[in-house]
Amino acid sequence: MTWQTFAFLIVAGTAFTISGKRFLTLYKLLKAQTGKPPKFGDLGARVLTGLVNVLGQKAVLRDRWIGIAHTAIFWGFIVISFGTVEQFLSTLYAGASFEFIGEGPYAAFIFAQDLFTSFVLFGVLYAAYRRLVIRPAHLGQSRDANNVLLFTGGLMVSIFLMNAFHILAANPSYEGSFFVSRQIALFFTQFQFSDDTSHSLFTFFKWVHMSLVLGFAVYIPGSKHLHIVAAGPNTVLRRLEREKGMSTINFEDESATQFGVANVSQMSWKDTLDLYSCTECGRCQELCPAWNTQKPLSPKNLIVDLKKNLHANKTAILSGKSEEITHVIDEHVTEDVIWACTSCRACEIACPVFIEHTDKIYDVRRNLVMMESRFPSEVQAVFKNMETNGSPWAFSASERANWAQGLGIKTMADAGSAAELDVLLWVGCAGAYDDRNQSVVKSFVNLLNKAQVKFAILGNEETCTGDAARRIGNEYLFQTLAKTNVETLNRYQVKTIVTACPHCFNTLKNEYKDLGGEYEVFHHSQFIARLVSEGRLKPVKEINETVTFHDSCYLGRWNNVYDQPRSVLQAIPKVNLVEMKQHHDRGMCCGAGGGRMWMEEHHGARINVTRTEQAIETNAKLVATACPFCVTMISDGVKTKDMTDQIRVKDIAEILDSAT
Amino acid sequence: MAKVVVFIEQREGKAKKASYELVAASAAAGNETHAVLVGDSVAGLANECASYGATKVHAIQDAALKLYTAESYAKALSTAIKSIGPEVVLAAHTPMGREFLPLVSVMVEGNLATDCTSLAFNGGKLQLRRPVYSGKATAEVEFVGSGMQMATVRPNSIGLPKPDAAKTAEAAVIACDLSGLKTKILEVVKGNSARPDVTEAAIVVSGGRSLKSAENFKIIEDLADTVGAAVGASRAAVDAGYRPHRDQVGQTGKVVSPACYIACGISGAIQHLAGMRTSKVIVAINTDPQAPIFQIADYAIVGDLFQVVPALTTEFKKLKE
Amino acid sequence: MNLYVCIKQVPDTETKIKLNADSTGIDTAGIKWILSTYDEYGIEEALRLKEKNAGATVTVVSAGPDRVIDGLRTALAMGADNAIHVELPENADSAMAAKALAATLKKEPKVDLVFFGKEALDDGAAQVPQLVAAHMGIPAVTVVCGIEYSGTTLKCKREIEGGSFEMVEVAAPAVIAGSKGLNDPRYATLPNIMKAKKKEVKAVKLADLGVSASDQKLRFKNFQLPPAKQAGKKLEGDAAAQAHALAVALHNEAKVV
Repeated sequence: MTWQTFAFLIVAGTAFTISGKRFLTLYKLLKAQTGKPPKFGDLGARVLTGLVNVLGQKAVLRDRWIGIAHTAIFWGFIVISFGTVEQFLSTLYAGASFEFIGEGPYAAFIFAQDLFTSFVLFGVLYAAYRRLVIRPAHLGQSRDANNVLLFTGGLMVSIFLMNAFHILAANPSYEGSFFVSRQIALFFTQFQFSDDTSHSLFTFFKWVHMSLVLGFAVYIPGSKHLHIVAAGPNTVLRRLEREKGMSTINFEDESATQFGVANVSQMSWKDTLDLYSCTECGRCQELCPAWNTQKPLSPKNLIVDLKKNLHANKTAILSGKSEEITHVIDEHVTEDVIWACTSCRACEIACPVFIEHTDKIYDVRRNLVMMESRFPSEVQAVFKNMETNGSPWAFSASERANWAQGLGIKTMADAGSAAELDVLLWVGCAGAYDDRNQSVVKSFVNLLNKAQVKFAILGNEETCTGDAARRIGNEYLFQTLAKTNVETLNRYQVKTIVTACPHCFNTLKNEYKDLGGEYEVFHHSQFIARLVSEGRLKPVKEINETVTFHDSCYLGRWNNVYDQPRSVLQAIPKVNLVEMKQHHDRGMCCGAGGGRMWMEEHHGARINVTRTEQAIETNAKLVATACPFCVTMISDGVKTKDMTDQIRVKDIAEILDSAT
Repeated sequence: MAKVVVFIEQREGKAKKASYELVAASAAAGNETHAVLVGDSVAGLANECASYGATKVHAIQDAALKLYTAESYAKALSTAIKSIGPEVVLAAHTPMGREFLPLVSVMVEGNLATDCTSLAFNGGKLQLRRPVYSGKATAEVEFVGSGMQMATVRPNSIGLPKPDAAKTAEAAVIACDLSGLKTKILEVVKGNSARPDVTEAAIVVSGGRSLKSAENFKIIEDLADTVGAAVGASRAAVDAGYRPHRDQVGQTGKVVSPACYIACGISGAIQHLAGMRTSKVIVAINTDPQAPIFQIADYAIVGDLFQVVPALTTEFKKLKE
Repeated sequence: MNLYVCIKQVPDTETKIKLNADSTGIDTAGIKWILSTYDEYGIEEALRLKEKNAGATVTVVSAGPDRVIDGLRTALAMGADNAIHVELPENADSAMAAKALAATLKKEPKVDLVFFGKEALDDGAAQVPQLVAAHMGIPAVTVVCGIEYSGTTLKCKREIEGGSFEMVEVAAPAVIAGSKGLNDPRYATLPNIMKAKKKEVKAVKLADLGVSASDQKLRFKNFQLPPAKQAGKKLEGDAAAQAHALAVALHNEAKVV
């Protein structure tokens, strides 16, 4: 035992004890969470996503330069850890070394150490440059982040210095493999240190490095750098399916007394792992339509603030004093934050570690609405309209099918059963009651007739799918509406449904399953695209115009439908399709999702106007949409910009109808 | 022919025209029409009552009746009714009449029909119709109880003939014991503007973004003030800062259902329609003949609101004179 | 503090009214019944008062056919403690309903305040609150859009014409008929909805109240629907001509100005 062994045992023992305790607390907090986690199946896909996104860094690499820097750091640390292990062992037991693997392999090992240390250093330098000089807005300023960079940079520098003085002191046989450290050693030869001095400096920098490693181990559990532990598991345990529905609450369960999240301990452990995984990269915030229009919501801050709330309630949670846990709504996570979300899901798609922000927001909303009756006042009328009329707008249920009068459209009651039909046309509330969207549905009906598709509508038997109620947090109302619809659809043995509304589409397709409604559901863009590709619809008339397509969130990000609506437009002769600066999965929400259609926008710029400005930038004269809410929001935006003479907003069905 | 009591509603010595509509209608049917004045100094209105055909004018005057309370006025009117002994009692269906006539009906054991919109006398029998289900239907009123027939009638339902200043009526004073009142009127707070709230107004004049500035809303305000209407606005106009948010009519603003809604330069997207669709009479003024608002308008004017609205204000002013 | 709220079920405001076969009323088939909107202000006011006064109870009372029990459950879900259903026939008038309600309230041990909506959305009579007050011998203030409480005294802001208000002071016991502006009625929370489903609704029979058909004073008959809404009338000519035509139409034809 040398003094080094002794010192190392004390220092490392202390560091690992503190660090271990801190990690244990995090683990206990995770275990203490009472919320219901999502289901975890499909092991193969999980291994695959782990390989691709953790080891392969695919999601991180979507942002190219910082992605490369991160990959360099990530792989660098993995490789360097082996060197660090050797270092620890040699400190515990002088002379311990990995040299036993043979001269050649050990030289390669040394080479790799030097190489990856350089990678990490370059990565860190770029990250520091980006953070301190480029300063992307979504990254923000963070002392924690700067500390992490200092730690990481310090680790690398100390490795190089340690190696350099090792070379000077010991002239090891594998000296040549230290292709970077050797250059530094060469630099120091001018000072003509004695071997003893060099050795002391070697020991000094080794201890600097080991202390940094141990200090880092203590620092990480309380830092955003915790992601190095949490993000991997979070990626493997993420929800795999893109078309995810919101979790269904079982109201039959009499023992359930809490619906939604009133305090952080009511989140699931997976939600908590999400919080641990966040490294505050801000990619979510960069794309958030709420944040970009000066709303108080930043998905990044939401996660950070929830984590703060969790830590603030640590003692109460761990001691089981649930009554002492403070409300999830605090000075950071305000009600305004929670209601600002349009559920566009840009944050989740952008997140490199697969955090599911919308789940947290929905859960908090559920508590606010169902347990505390706290929500923007204008929403109450929407709930009441849905309850009494089955529509968010105050229209009589008996007038739902009025739009179809004189069009010769069969109702399901006329048809008797779905057996004789190709498809059920789900009209939706906007299609049924909104003058503007009635025209969309009528165009779609024209297309179905032109393609000789046999279809029927439910007529007055249709009722709101409940999408808005669910997104706003009124799961109870949603289920009431959904069960009515499922009962009606199943009574007519409906198998296939098509709808022009992405919100109805998403709900019918992904969310009715849990309530006994299994259907094959198409959005009209998919349906029309197929009819065009099958030659049943022939766009022959030219539309000699520049057209831009606005992605609906519930079509694109929630259901991965990007190409079909575009293919419909491109099938029309002479159409010049251009993209806005944000499109496909980076497309910007119109502002109406997540129940925002039914709320006032009190903060900042209007989302719909901001999005409309992006459309205007393309110089397109025609904005194509595929969602009734988007039509309304973008049309309003065009009105606000006083450009109704220059820009028209149309649904793809209307455009194709005029070209066939 | 019947003995009819008409309660003459007055505030600050000024009688409501609606009361005189009833006096005139009763007199025209040849009834013995007793006008009852209640207040602290109301005898001066006797001639006016006579000019519309009252046979006899009764006054109950008391300092305690200076300002209306349901309790004191019910006591006064029921005392008068008991002293006159009519078959029919009529009052205007106003914030005052609609509140205290039910109290009177209990005190005199009468049968009361409120908010009637048509009134006729068939011998000693009142023939009344009244709206039900917010005006989605009307029903005829049949009195099945014994005792006098009482009704409150919506203002402007009958119309007011020209008064005849030459007509005279017998005047009488009725004493009334007003001790032991439990209700105290503290004050009457005058509305700081004559413009009513958008949700409660009988007429709403709304403007859209095409007014182009907050200042231009002046023409909307002028029109509204001429007809005692509230001013509303579309969301676009509110967003543009032309009007405060409290004026916003629509799905996320105020939901209104006035007797008349005048939409000026509002295209009528669903979010707006959802807030005013159930208005009884809808007027739309818009340059775009394709605007969806015209689909639900009872009266459509395709034209420039900057010309039509001031012209309309002028027309209504003429009408008032 | 014993607070009472009298409430009524009415057809949903979006209901398309159809008449029954002999036009003696409306066809109630397929109608969605809701709490009369103004009644919600009454419920909310009572609940807020209860929340400020420990030990206070809110009892909701509704007179009508069995369907009013749904309305009572809605009020219970909002937070009312007790519910009483007075079994009243469908076509009872305001006088009979008021007599039954007053008799029910008189049987209660103590009544401090009775809240109503200013009128029911179906018959729009605006009579029952005052009639109940008269039968109980207590004052009534109607169309109340604001109340200041101090002890048992209530300072009520009562809306009258022209945007003016009367400030009226009454002492409990009293009847208050609430209007828009009094408060923002709450949306029931889920736990309260669940609890309300299990609460008992006390049934009261007319015979036990000494009320009978002879207390009915009015009957509505010969119902009519307004003429079907005509297609919009387009007013032609220059601005002056259009304005003139519109003014004339609104005054003489529509009679709204």
